[in-house]
Amino acid sequence: MSDQKTVLFSVFRHILPSDYENWLEQMAAEGWQIDHIEQWSSVVMSFRLCEPKKYRFVYDPQVSPRKEYIPTYEEFGWEYLGRMASAHIWRMEYEGERPQAFSDQEGLVERNRRNLTAVSISFFMFLTAILAIGLGLGFAADSLSAGDRIQLVIAGGFFGVISLALAYVMLQMRKNLRK
Amino acid sequence: MSVEKARKRYIPMSETMFYILLSMKQERHGYAIMQHVKELTKGRIRLGAGTVYSSLGKLEGDGLIKSIREEDRRNIYLITPLGKQILHEEAERIAELSSNYKEVL
Repeated sequence: MSDQKTVLFSVFRHILPSDYENWLEQMAAEGWQIDHIEQWSSVVMSFRLCEPKKYRFVYDPQVSPRKEYIPTYEEFGWEYLGRMASAHIWRMEYEGERPQAFSDQEGLVERNRRNLTAVSISFFMFLTAILAIGLGLGFAADSLSAGDRIQLVIAGGFFGVISLALAYVMLQMRKNLRK
Repeated sequence: MSVEKARKRYIPMSETMFYILLSMKQERHGYAIMQHVKELTKGRIRLGAGTVYSSLGKLEGDGLIKSIREEDRRNIYLITPLGKQILHEEAERIAELSSNYKEVL
């Protein structure tokens, strides 16, 4: 049995922050550990097989945190694993009561709203790209070669698929703001 | 932020926000706030790091508390006159609730 496991597109498999946290916790309980999160971890995440541990993970979207962000969490006993895009990932080993970084419903909803905002921005960026491609094909089609037109159609289709996936993610997030 | 705007935004106030603001009557940093609230509520409320961090950012941004200095990478906060007024008004509102409850019972 290999002592390495690679998971692709983990953020698309576990859409809600709480589901993502639970998945990481389950992986750690099975012995699959990750000690460092990087920008591309949302696309490719590598785990190594170690001793199973009981960790609580936190997924916290913060686009531009204040400088006391990391010291505050660390003082509460959390270990910083890194960030992927705007999502900061923390963990804490525990026994007994499961530690919470968001101790009230209001904080939890705010965290989920921040996540929804981040996804919404990506969604509108892709939508703008599709619009730009559509306008390009509509107004400048005559000046484009057949090859260019095909490339633009493919790009538009690709962005369309991503936009649909993001729309689905946003819908799920909106439905589960209190989770 | 004006008193009117602060009233609209903070009254009624969540229990978490009330205790965080109350803790700011003395100079404290994030972790000390959690300890103070835990002690005050006899362990019932144990604030999380994310909740404390976000609440402090919001309260400071709206002028209810201010950062007065930095110690070991931590900001020390204190309540402002606006924060005191909002806290007082919220405490009065809660007292009225309690008094009406007792009266009706």
